[in-house]
Amino acid sequence: MIGGKNVLFTLAFALVPAIASAQQKPTKPAKKPSSMTGMPGMNGMPADSGRRKPGAKPAPAMHDTSSMAMGSMSMPIPMPAGMPMIPGLVGLKPPVGEFLPAKGVDPRTLPLANPTQIARLKDGDTLDLTAMLVRRVINGRAFAMYGYNGQVPGPLIRVLQNATIVVRYHNRIDLPSTVHWHGVRLDNHNDGVPGITQDSVMPGGSFVYHVHFPDAGIYWYHPHVREDIEQAMGLFGNVRVDSPDRDYYSPVNAEQTLVLDDLLINGDTLIPFGKDAPDFALMGRVGNVLLVNGEPRYSLTVKRGAVVRFFVTNVASSRTYNLSFSGAPIKVVAGDVSKFEHEERVPSVVIAPAERYVVEVAFDKPGRYALVNAIQAINHYAGEFAAEVDTLGFVTVGATPAAPSYAKQFATLRSNAKVTQDIDRYRQYFGKAPDKRLTLTVSISGLPLSLPLATVQFMNVDTAYYAPVEWVDGMPDMNWLSTSKQVRWIIRDDATGKENMDIDWHARQGSVIKLRIFNDPKSFHPMQHPIHLHGQRMLVVARDGVRTKNLVWKDTAIIPVGSTVDLLIDASNPGAWMLHCHIAEHLGSGMMTVLRVDPAEAGGR
Amino acid sequence: MLGGWLGRVLLAATVVAAADRAGPFDISLFNTQNAPDAHGQARLVFGQSPFGVAVTADGRASYDVRITAAGLPDPSTLGRYSAYVAWAVSTDLSRWDRLGTVTNGDNTVGRAEVNKFLLVVAAESTATSPHTGPTVLHGTSPSGWLQSFLSHPLFRGIPP
Repeated sequence: MIGGKNVLFTLAFALVPAIASAQQKPTKPAKKPSSMTGMPGMNGMPADSGRRKPGAKPAPAMHDTSSMAMGSMSMPIPMPAGMPMIPGLVGLKPPVGEFLPAKGVDPRTLPLANPTQIARLKDGDTLDLTAMLVRRVINGRAFAMYGYNGQVPGPLIRVLQNATIVVRYHNRIDLPSTVHWHGVRLDNHNDGVPGITQDSVMPGGSFVYHVHFPDAGIYWYHPHVREDIEQAMGLFGNVRVDSPDRDYYSPVNAEQTLVLDDLLINGDTLIPFGKDAPDFALMGRVGNVLLVNGEPRYSLTVKRGAVVRFFVTNVASSRTYNLSFSGAPIKVVAGDVSKFEHEERVPSVVIAPAERYVVEVAFDKPGRYALVNAIQAINHYAGEFAAEVDTLGFVTVGATPAAPSYAKQFATLRSNAKVTQDIDRYRQYFGKAPDKRLTLTVSISGLPLSLPLATVQFMNVDTAYYAPVEWVDGMPDMNWLSTSKQVRWIIRDDATGKENMDIDWHARQGSVIKLRIFNDPKSFHPMQHPIHLHGQRMLVVARDGVRTKNLVWKDTAIIPVGSTVDLLIDASNPGAWMLHCHIAEHLGSGMMTVLRVDPAEAGGR
Repeated sequence: MLGGWLGRVLLAATVVAAADRAGPFDISLFNTQNAPDAHGQARLVFGQSPFGVAVTADGRASYDVRITAAGLPDPSTLGRYSAYVAWAVSTDLSRWDRLGTVTNGDNTVGRAEVNKFLLVVAAESTATSPHTGPTVLHGTSPSGWLQSFLSHPLFRGIPP
C-alpha cells in the first residue's frame, strides 16, 4: 500500500535512483498494441440515421478532449485538452481482458433502442422486464448496448404508494445479471443482490420479483452484477411512486424525469470494459459524453412562466453533477426517500451517483435556458482549478404565458409537517454515541506498474491536496490502467479492524443505528464515496460535527474526502442489506459490507 | 539542471510533509512580527446544503470558515485599530473578501467561495472598514498545496 505518510520517505530515498533511472532509460517508443478495429461492438459504425457529417459541429455535452497518440491507438483514453499524458503510461493497457456487449453480433442486427415508455401499474399487476441487447445511436454513431424492454432508460414504472407489483425479469444479455430496486424498502429476498438475496440470473434465465413500494418518491432499478458494465451500457430505469395525497407536491405546469448518465467514447469507439475485473478502479469510469435520458441533448419546450417539476436521478458510474438552468430559480422539494422538511431555494443541484432529487424550476422569461453541469475541475499538472461547463440541453420558453400560473405556489417554500413529525420520533437518537464507526480508505498493490520513479513521485506529491469532491477524472490515463486486481477500496470497521464483507454487523429490527463514517484523506488516492444502504432509510444528521438543519430520508449519502458523516438508520426492515459505495468500480473493487437486521422476534445483537 | 530538479522535489517533499499533518479542510495560521505570540487554526466546513456538499452554481465549494485564535493582542496596541478581521484573499492579492471579525477563541467568521485563497487576519480600523491594517495571522486554503509540474523535464518529454 502506498500511504500518504510514506510519501516523504519515498521522495527522499527514490530521488537519486529516479534521476539515474530517468537518465539511463530514455522513454521507450510507444508500444503499439493490437488494433481495436474489428472488435465486435467496438467500432461506432455509421448509423442508419443522424450520421454526423464531416465538418459538422461537435457533439453537445462532450468534453473538449484529445486522445493521445491516436494514430497508433496506443492510448485510446481521451485526455482532457491540453493535458500531457503521464510519463511511462504510453502503450500500457489495463491487465484485464476487454469486454463490450454483443461479441460476435453485428450491431446492425440489433433493435434500435426506444425512449422510455411509461408503465402504469396497479397493485397486483405484473410487468415483464427483459434486459436485452439494443443498438443505440449517439452523436451519429451506433453502438451495441443494453436496455430494458428495448428502452433506454428502461420503462418508467408508475405505481401508487403501498402498491405491490410482480416483475418477471428475463435476462437476455450476455452477462449474468439481477435487478436491484434502489431505495425501495422491500422484502429482502427481492433486493436483487447475488450471493446475498439470490443467485445471479444467467443469460437466458428468469427471476420473479415481488416489489412493494411503501414510500412515495422517485426510485430506480438497475443490475447488481458488474454495474460498471451493465448499468453503464444502459440497464437503468425509474420507478415513480405516487402519493395518494393530491397535494403531496405543489401544482406545476409540467413534470419531467431526468436520468443523468455519461459514456466514455473516443472518436467512434466505446472504451471497452475490463472483462475479468473492472478497470478505472481508482476514480470510476467518468464519461466524456454526457447524456440525459440516454440522449446527448435534452430538449423541453414550455410556456412563459411555467413551473416544471424535475425528478432527477444520477445513474452515472462515478460522476457527481452540479446542475443548473441558466439562472432560473430552483426549489428543492424532495430527496431519495421523502420530501425535505422544508423546501429550499438552491443555486444548483448537486447529485452524486444513485441519488435522486425532486426540484421545481420556474422559467419566467421567454428564451432558451441551458441545462448545464458546471464544475471546477483540477488540472493536476498546472496545479490549478479550471471551470468546466457542459451543456446537457435546453429548455425553450415561449412568449405565451403559461396557464394557470403557479408563480405564487412556486414562490412559497412549503414546510412538510408530516415529514417533520415522522422524523421527530428519531430526534432523541441524534445526539447518541455512534453504534458503528466505519472508515473509508483504499489499498493499492501492483501500481503504478513499472512507471518511472519520477512519475510515482509526481503522483504522490499530487495527493498533497485532496479535493473533497472530484468532479471529473483528471488523470484518465492512470485511472484506466487501475483495475480491481490492484485497487481494493475499503470499508473498515473501526472497532474490529475488519474490512468489507468480513465485517460482522447485526442490528435488531426496530432499532435505530447511529453510523459514523469517516472518509480518510490519508491514502494514495482518496475520493468521495456515495454510500448506499439497501432496504432501509436513513437521515444524514450531521456532517463534520454540524447538525443538518433540513432533514430528508435518504438511501444514498455522499461522503466527501476528509469528512465525517453521521447517519441515523431506521433499521425497520429485516434481512441482509448491502451497504456500499455506488461508484460502480469502487463497488467492483470490494467496497461493500452487509448490515443484517435480525427480525425483532428473533432477538439480535 | 539537476539542482533545479532536486530543489523542486525537495520543495514538493516539504509540501507533502506539511500537508500530511492536516486534512483537506484544515488551515494552519502563521503569525507575523506584528503579533509574535499569536497563533491559530482554521477549518473549512461545508455550508448547510440540502445536498450535503455546498457549492456555487459554477461549482466552487462554499465553506463556512472557522478560526480558532489565541495570543492576539488588543488591536489598539498595533496602532489605530479596533478589530481583527479575517479576509479571504485571492492568490494574486487582487481581491479581499471580508469574512468577519476574529477574537481570541473560536470564531465562525463567514463563508468563503473561492477555489484557492489566502486566509489573512489583519488589524483594521473598524470591523467594516476596508483592508489597510497589519497582518497578524495568515495561511493558505488546503487547495494551495496544489503544485504545478508543467516545468518538470519528464513532463515535457525531456530526460533530466
